Amino acid sequence: MSNFLKPILYFFPLLILQLTVIPLISIFGVGPNLIIITAIYYALHGGQIYGMMLGFLFGFFFDLLSGGVLGASMLSMTIAVFIAGYFYNENRVDNNTASYFFLVILFIAAFINSLIYSFAGNFNPEVRFSALLLEGALLPACYTTVIGLAVVAFKMRNGRL
Amino acid sequence: MIKNFQRLGNQFKEYVLLVVLVVVSLISISLSENPQAKKLKAFALSNFAVLSELAESGSSIFSKDVSLEELKLENAKMTLELSRLKNAALENDELRRMINMRDTSTIPLIPVRIVSKLATKIQGNYIVNRGSSSGIIKGMPVINYQGLVGLIMDVSVDYSVVRNLNNSGLNIAVTLQRSNVDGILSFDGRNLVMKNIPTTYDVKVGDRIETSDFSSLFPPSIPVGKVAKKESNELGLLHSLVVKPYASIEAASSLFVIGIVPSKQINQLEMNLLKKP
Repeated sequence: MSNFLKPILYFFPLLILQLTVIPLISIFGVGPNLIIITAIYYALHGGQIYGMMLGFLFGFFFDLLSGGVLGASMLSMTIAVFIAGYFYNENRVDNNTASYFFLVILFIAAFINSLIYSFAGNFNPEVRFSALLLEGALLPACYTTVIGLAVVAFKMRNGRL
Repeated sequence: MIKNFQRLGNQFKEYVLLVVLVVVSLISISLSENPQAKKLKAFALSNFAVLSELAESGSSIFSKDVSLEELKLENAKMTLELSRLKNAALENDELRRMINMRDTSTIPLIPVRIVSKLATKIQGNYIVNRGSSSGIIKGMPVINYQGLVGLIMDVSVDYSVVRNLNNSGLNIAVTLQRSNVDGILSFDGRNLVMKNIPTTYDVKVGDRIETSDFSSLFPPSIPVGKVAKKESNELGLLHSLVVKPYASIEAASSLFVIGIVPSKQINQLEMNLLKKP
């Protein structure tokens, strides 16, 4: 199977998990984002342009199928993956995805993704900036990074996903 | 000239692509309330929610119990009834005659189950397993056995999207039951807040808050929550009331759609208030 299509096939089961199982393990409405983990992982394998296209597609389907604001996730994922794409290096793919450096990249991207998503999906000007920053972005990014540990551990043991 | 543009395009192709994708995303956000976009979402939702429902039923295998669902339905009806009776008692205390009180207990309740949740702090949404085929239409209120949960925002044939209280896009006209102080309840990203309540008004922590008579989105007297905290502004003239909802929004599973069909014109006017400026 083409490596370019693989993440799209993984996306739909992950989206179901994101919308049904993740709410069960979310803490006070703060949950990890499996979609961004997948997007970042494949962006670090395929490069910035491929990652952006993937992030945009993932965001589009996420918005369409989650009941959220159409475009919010498209915007946030595209920008987050674009930034993560700066860490892409053809010669250091395994180093980037099978080491703890992946968690650093994931944290940055997840934070940017959550922050932009919170702002783009917010229609109320009275929403506290601190709430958006802390509970809308920082805590979900931390939680996503913790879940990202599983990817690193799996990669370290078994090689490519 | 064209070659120069091509060269620039090739040199900065990542940035060009980023700008294009960002512009498309921003256009999508601005058109997200467009009927065509809603139609597309409803179509996608109705197909995908089947899978979500299957996954959800697998994950909730331990909690599925028909008698429990029936008890929750009964409880929801009793919550509405209790709320109505509390109002009646207060009015009797004030020696006021009960006139034209809406009998909320006769309102049909449509039981629904959440098949997926969008777990973010700003966009609180659920997808539930009933849609227009069960008589649900956009704008119907949603409760659980504890109190108000949200509002139906999108409907497909078999599924609906509920905008819950933890959504910054939902503003609700509410009233304090004891003192009849009216206000607008909205989500500030952390708490439900009633803003700009004059400090001269009689408000106490623990006061019960319910939907107001002024709202045509929601029937009156649906319990919403209670005052958890009072915060004064700098001048001390106005309060912000932090409200703790009765319904546990994050842990909700079984809900009830109040099957009322408000006047189309009023409904349209109110729904306009929910749209982006």
